[in-house]
Amino acid sequence: MHTIGKLALQANVTTDTVRYYEKEGLLVPTSKTGAGYRIYDEEAVRRLRFIKQAQQCGFSLTEIRELLTLRNSDEACCKDVKSVAIAKKLQLEHKIKALQIMSLALSELIVICNNETRPLDECPILVALESSIAKQMKGNSNG
Amino acid sequence: MVKVEVFSSPGCAKCAQAKTVLKAVATELGPDKVNWREVNILEEIDYAVELGVMATPAIAINGKLIFVALPSAAKLRGELLNRLG
Repeated sequence: MHTIGKLALQANVTTDTVRYYEKEGLLVPTSKTGAGYRIYDEEAVRRLRFIKQAQQCGFSLTEIRELLTLRNSDEACCKDVKSVAIAKKLQLEHKIKALQIMSLALSELIVICNNETRPLDECPILVALESSIAKQMKGNSNG
Repeated sequence: MVKVEVFSSPGCAKCAQAKTVLKAVATELGPDKVNWREVNILEEIDYAVELGVMATPAIAINGKLIFVALPSAAKLRGELLNRLG
């Protein structure tokens, strides 16, 4: 059995994180001492490590809750978890694509800034961003 | 000729069921009118992302994502007939 401090240490998180997960319904103490201290078993350690690992893979707490439900469900099978993973992968691939487009846009702006000694009001990056905002606003008012 | 692409993931029972029902619509219209292609999302994830597929099953028609959730057979038939003129 572990206290909240020992549990947090084992999963390399803070005690605040453990309490937050409890508030979110992801982790429940096995019992409480007479003085009200939370006590956790080995399953809680595994569960906490699972949450951390899933977070590192990009899963949100809501998705982790879904995964934990599947993990403890008698009716679920590997196929169900796989479809959650595929949906997450698709989401990540969309994000990567959007980030690549943003990175390309920044590359173009960096290229047009060919004289770094220019005063700020002549900075081509700021000018390009201003004109892009102006275009967007014009587009919105026309639309 | 209308090109229909059905994006699904391997082992997805919902996808398999949908494919059977919807493929019958394409078969009924004839292979000279509808080109039916089944896309495994894991093998062509870049293409799926390019079309904007966020979940499976999804259906693209002539290279555009048209159905982001399962359409009924009647809805798919209507969409295809619309394009066939």
